[in-house]
Amino acid sequence: MNEDLVGYALEYARSKNVDYAEIRAQNQQQDALLLRNGILETYTSAVDRGFCVRVIANGGIGFASTNKWTKEEAKVIVDLAYKYAKVAKRKDKINFTEEKGIKTMWKVDQKKKIEDIHPETRIAKFIEIDKAIVSCGVNVPARVGSCTIDLVEKYFVNTEGSQISSFVPKIGAYFFITVVEQGKTEQAYEQFGYSGGWEAFENWKATEKLRHNAEILKEVITKGRAIKPGKMDLICGPEVTGIAAHESCGHPMEADRILGREMSQAGRSFIYDGGPFWIGTKIGSDAVTIVDDPTIEHSYGYYKYDDEGIKARQRYLYKNGVINEFLHNRESAAKLGTRSNGASRSVNYDREAIVRMANTFVLSGNMTEEEIIEDVKYGVFMKSFTEWNIDDKRFNQRYVGREAYIVEQGELKHLVARPVIETTTEKFWKAVDAVSKKAEFDAATCGKGDPMQGIPVYTGGPCIRLRGVYVK
Amino acid sequence: MSEVLTKTQEIAKKAKSLGAEEVIAKTTFGKYRQTRFSKNQIDITVAWNDYVTDVGLAWKKRLVATQIRNFQNVDERLKQLFELAKVSKENPMFGGFAKGKFKYAAGSTDKKLEDLENPEEYVFEAINAAEKEVGSQIDSGGVLFTKFEDVYLVSSEGPVGVDGRSSIELSIRAFSEREASGHGVECSSTLKDFKPSRAGIKAGKVARLAKNPKMGEEGVYDVIFDPLIFGSMLAVWASMVSAFSVMVQMSVFVNKLGQKVAPKIVTLKDNPAAYSLAGRVFDDEGVPTRENVFIDHGVLKTYLHNTSTAKIFKTETTGNAGLVFPGPWNVEMNPGDIGKDELFKEVKRGLYLTNTWYTRFQNYAKGDFSTIPRDGIFLVEKGEIKQSLKDLRISDNASSLLNNIAMISKERQHVHWWGEVDPPSLSPYVLIKDVHITRSK
Repeated sequence: MNEDLVGYALEYARSKNVDYAEIRAQNQQQDALLLRNGILETYTSAVDRGFCVRVIANGGIGFASTNKWTKEEAKVIVDLAYKYAKVAKRKDKINFTEEKGIKTMWKVDQKKKIEDIHPETRIAKFIEIDKAIVSCGVNVPARVGSCTIDLVEKYFVNTEGSQISSFVPKIGAYFFITVVEQGKTEQAYEQFGYSGGWEAFENWKATEKLRHNAEILKEVITKGRAIKPGKMDLICGPEVTGIAAHESCGHPMEADRILGREMSQAGRSFIYDGGPFWIGTKIGSDAVTIVDDPTIEHSYGYYKYDDEGIKARQRYLYKNGVINEFLHNRESAAKLGTRSNGASRSVNYDREAIVRMANTFVLSGNMTEEEIIEDVKYGVFMKSFTEWNIDDKRFNQRYVGREAYIVEQGELKHLVARPVIETTTEKFWKAVDAVSKKAEFDAATCGKGDPMQGIPVYTGGPCIRLRGVYVK
Repeated sequence: MSEVLTKTQEIAKKAKSLGAEEVIAKTTFGKYRQTRFSKNQIDITVAWNDYVTDVGLAWKKRLVATQIRNFQNVDERLKQLFELAKVSKENPMFGGFAKGKFKYAAGSTDKKLEDLENPEEYVFEAINAAEKEVGSQIDSGGVLFTKFEDVYLVSSEGPVGVDGRSSIELSIRAFSEREASGHGVECSSTLKDFKPSRAGIKAGKVARLAKNPKMGEEGVYDVIFDPLIFGSMLAVWASMVSAFSVMVQMSVFVNKLGQKVAPKIVTLKDNPAAYSLAGRVFDDEGVPTRENVFIDHGVLKTYLHNTSTAKIFKTETTGNAGLVFPGPWNVEMNPGDIGKDELFKEVKRGLYLTNTWYTRFQNYAKGDFSTIPRDGIFLVEKGEIKQSLKDLRISDNASSLLNNIAMISKERQHVHWWGEVDPPSLSPYVLIKDVHITRSK
């Protein structure tokens, strides 16, 4: 990392009439492999190294980036950013919250350094997983597996005196399988993610999960029964709890969305000033507390300082069913008269840092999974999901079960094929009456921004029980 | 010969000299500019310059790739890449890169898009146009985006080409009330054909009509798809004719070549023509791009191929190669023979949908999916818009929707929006019968 050039760019920006300037440099080694039906389609290995400047001048923001590491280019992008900040001609001027400069270094440790794992070993690991799927006794004629390894070094400086260096290794994997039985198909995807080294595979238990998925899909085809639509209890497994927490709590609590800054792409929020929902409003039952926490070590969404140099911390989004704290960057926090809580993230040096989730999950309760099930007379236990979506105000959502069972008189009975819950955020979270002790996490790539910035996160939580919701 | 093309050729030569059997090097010098706005004001203007060479290298049917930035560390990167190829695994399906010398149509860029002067003026033109429709209470947001790329491609197998790709697009979403909005887009490869007010007028008109929405009802409806939402469906079907999608069963078109998959009035093609945001004269193997009719009067004619997938399917490449997968560039639906207004008159009771997002599949092979209409959703009775609705979802099947296309308008619009209408398309108004609509309970 050429810190001298970064310093030069900052000083050049400071020499202009700016209210604020920052330089964010990133050096990213990325390796990716793609397997189709056990055959390596391609292995990609590349280094991307560049830097950006963001300035506030005349109440507007300008941003420019380059991967050309020269003083001349640094001046070009500073000039561009400065020019673009001024063209905004805003009536209300943009400010950031006041923050003290921070000088620090941080990194994520690896037990087994990824750099020491030879590409041949990486490829062999994925071929081994594919073979395990093939040999599980289920017809899986189409299989796609991919692995992405990122070694990301960042250097952040700003006109407030911050100088923050970091190094984060991340490893992610994705599998998509198609099971065919009796001429019918079922499909499933599974994603894994970890901040750290090659030890990720020990935690993931990828082979077990994928074989299980294949076996369940076969059973859904051969034994899954349709459900009689109606009101019933619904138990969501950690995977379903996690996606619901992400979609109908994490996203609507992003302050930039609440303020309308994402209105034409990812949309707005059912939470808005002057509307029926705001901080202090009840949105769920007392049993519902949803947290976003970037500080979980080795999680896929882990970071210690965000991309504006703000120290990361845990955020209680819904607390005992009450809307509690939005996710903020410095711009949104200034607009709403509060402080940034370190939720500003960017996928690369050439993208603006915007408000993002990290690891969003329902906080554990005090019941066992068995206790949750035994009190259900009739309902569905949706362990995992396939199709899902939510509207752009984050209020109307739908989750379709992949592995799901009928529950009768407190016992799991037969598999049910693709049960659907299609309901509102308020009905969903207010129906929760029980939360289990044991939480689990899934890796996901959260989409937001224009251009799209897919960012690593965890979703998760324990089993939750919803009383009397409509399932079809 | 330009210095950049020479440097790109040197990369291909160096890779060959290391022992690579086949090499493709593609250098893109890109300038991208974006102005984002919300609450009728500019939030940020962004510029990013990207200097990148994509290198694909094949050795003993092992395919590896890298990116070299700004021609830095070329020798080191190529050496590492060749070493990677040696430890990689053979792909028996790899059919090589395209061979031969090709002549290309002249690529064209609009120099005015290289560094657009006063981008804010185009944004305000769109906002002002929307405001005329909505009134002073308008709340609008969106994006102005320009692309200016010089592309240089050299393949060890013969192709050498230079292309220029430029485009400008504006997307605006206007709100007349908290839950009443419209979305308009304007897309062009040249500044002279770019009229941001058209997007503003469309967004504003729909937002005005969308006022006072009522909760919609579940049911089976005849639905008029606006070009913008239909662009989302075109993107779904076009991605499913990629041969790679077919091979991994992420497609409803598996084993359907030569079969009827749509009514006779449906002809779909991929055509990266000069007007398009995605216009290009060669693909990533250097094969000249062309118009590929993939559904001809309802019959599935071809998948979209690169050289490798074409060999697997015992056919010729269609000029749709990305570095790894084939894919669509720009989708076109042939126009119908009815005007938009007449098409509306054919609907006794149905819906008019203007935009959608968050399309997700349960099963790509089967085609079951749902997507959530946003912005104007309207109840249509006897050809007239009767009521603005909200909170509905299309929960249906990709094959069924294609089969249930009943009417196609003469009018078409070039549309592209974020990840939801991507790739871009030339999209008409379309009437689809018996669409399943659901809502929250």
